[in-house]
Amino acid sequence: MRLTRRDRLVLFTPLALLLGGWLVTPALVGLLATFTSYSPVTASVRFSGLANYAAVVHDPAFGAAARNIAVFTVVAVPLELGIGFGVAYLLRRSLRGRAAWRILLLLPWLVSPIASGVMWHFLFGSATGILDFVVGWLGRPELPSPLGDLRLALPAVIAVEVWRMAPFVTFLLLPSLASIPNERWEEATLSGASWMGRLLHVAIPAVRPLLLTITMLLVGLSLGTFDSVLILTGGGPGNATVTPALYSYGRAFGTNDWPVGATSGWFIAAAVFAAGLIYLRLARTRIAE
Amino acid sequence: MKLRAALVTATLIAFLLPLVWTAVASLGLLPDNSSRPPSWRGSATLDHFAEIGIAEPAFWQELATSTGTAASAALLAVLVSLLAAYGLARSSFRATRLVTQACLVLASLPVMAYVIPLSDLMRRVHLLDTYPGIVLSEAAVTAPLAVFVLHGAIAQLPSDWEEAAVLDGAGLFGVIGRVVLPLVAPSVAATAIVLFVLDWNMLLVPLVLTSGDIKTIPLGLSDFFTFERELDWPTAAAALIVSLAPVAVLVGFFHRVLNRFSLDLRTGD
Repeated sequence: MRLTRRDRLVLFTPLALLLGGWLVTPALVGLLATFTSYSPVTASVRFSGLANYAAVVHDPAFGAAARNIAVFTVVAVPLELGIGFGVAYLLRRSLRGRAAWRILLLLPWLVSPIASGVMWHFLFGSATGILDFVVGWLGRPELPSPLGDLRLALPAVIAVEVWRMAPFVTFLLLPSLASIPNERWEEATLSGASWMGRLLHVAIPAVRPLLLTITMLLVGLSLGTFDSVLILTGGGPGNATVTPALYSYGRAFGTNDWPVGATSGWFIAAAVFAAGLIYLRLARTRIAE
Repeated sequence: MKLRAALVTATLIAFLLPLVWTAVASLGLLPDNSSRPPSWRGSATLDHFAEIGIAEPAFWQELATSTGTAASAALLAVLVSLLAAYGLARSSFRATRLVTQACLVLASLPVMAYVIPLSDLMRRVHLLDTYPGIVLSEAAVTAPLAVFVLHGAIAQLPSDWEEAAVLDGAGLFGVIGRVVLPLVAPSVAATAIVLFVLDWNMLLVPLVLTSGDIKTIPLGLSDFFTFERELDWPTAAAALIVSLAPVAVLVGFFHRVLNRFSLDLRTGD
């Protein structure tokens, strides 16, 4: 139907109020506060320029967090996409009990990051874990939990996140992959396309826009990694698994350094917005094609 | 064909083994990794489920709180997003596409980016430690994703039926309620379920917006753990299974509808 001005007002006002009040205003007020000495507990507020930003940038703990999250994102997102796509590709044609497989495979995503953290703490542990059970059968001595190892902690945390998110990628991709008409596959097979050729020329082009969208979500999600690391390692050992989100939370609510916490929170937002600009750019070129 | 079945089975085992391990542990069956070869000990019992209430006395209360807040937040977000998505889908201004894509970028924005000032604002308007504070905040976190998905669903509908309804004298809400909603009901339901799962699992919002009076399951689980109490694994496992069960049942029950949660703007049949 043709919308009048009044209709538009009615339709958009609730969302504008919700996002305005509970997302945009806090974000912008927070941004303003990062240029001052404001904190909920202080009485006087003064302009402090870029002092908070300097404090964050020069903090070695934040440097470690930035490095960790860069590694985390660069490793976890492609793995999530690759495994998620691979499984969806396997499940795309009808298979006995596909509906049941799909739901069972979604289970890891239903586990909250907190619960998954608690669970993997014990699964990595030596007395109760899977890892040591398997290693024990191979006749090897018990392994200490990788979560306590300086070099293995970050890979372990990444593995847990991939375990949780890859199934969600499969869930999002499967309907689109399954809806590719049969003729397209047959044509490709008849023209002699290999397994790889069908993947590159039939499957991927059909879901390219969807992959772009999912990638954006995954990048945002991993840049904000918080809950699972909080439980698994608390950022340790040392600073081996600290993330910007853990850092912000710790500064704002742990050590009562509110301005530094809010400022480092804005670094996360800036990183996501930068990724968002790339996403908008890529999404637009796709339409122009 | 055989290879594919084998690969699917292997994947399924790899992803589900950790959960099976946890379910088995919740029944009191534990591996004994110090013996060679490792063996199993303990006998199956449901006692550990009863122990949840002893280890964390408020657990069942937390379960109710989680259900209530997640359901309210998901419904609120879907309702508000449905209106906006319809408005976007039926507006012809050129920026429509940009607005929906901007919604996706907002949906990707981690809560941590603005939750610190949010908790301060909520304190100032006296919404700290209140249900409305949590519900509205969670709804705001998830609404952008809902707008993106619902816009995709509505944009595919032909507007002929709506015109017919308008000729019959239907107003804006008549058109949305009697024409649009029945057609996109599966997408709306799928979105509501996904949002419920996201809200159910959300830690940061309730963590910084409450001081312990209102506790959701993730908050309870994190307390369970961070207070250095030497946690008993079977009891923790039982708590994990109980916290997973409601969403698993919900998703299992509505699995057909969940197909319609599509981020794809072209196919969505």
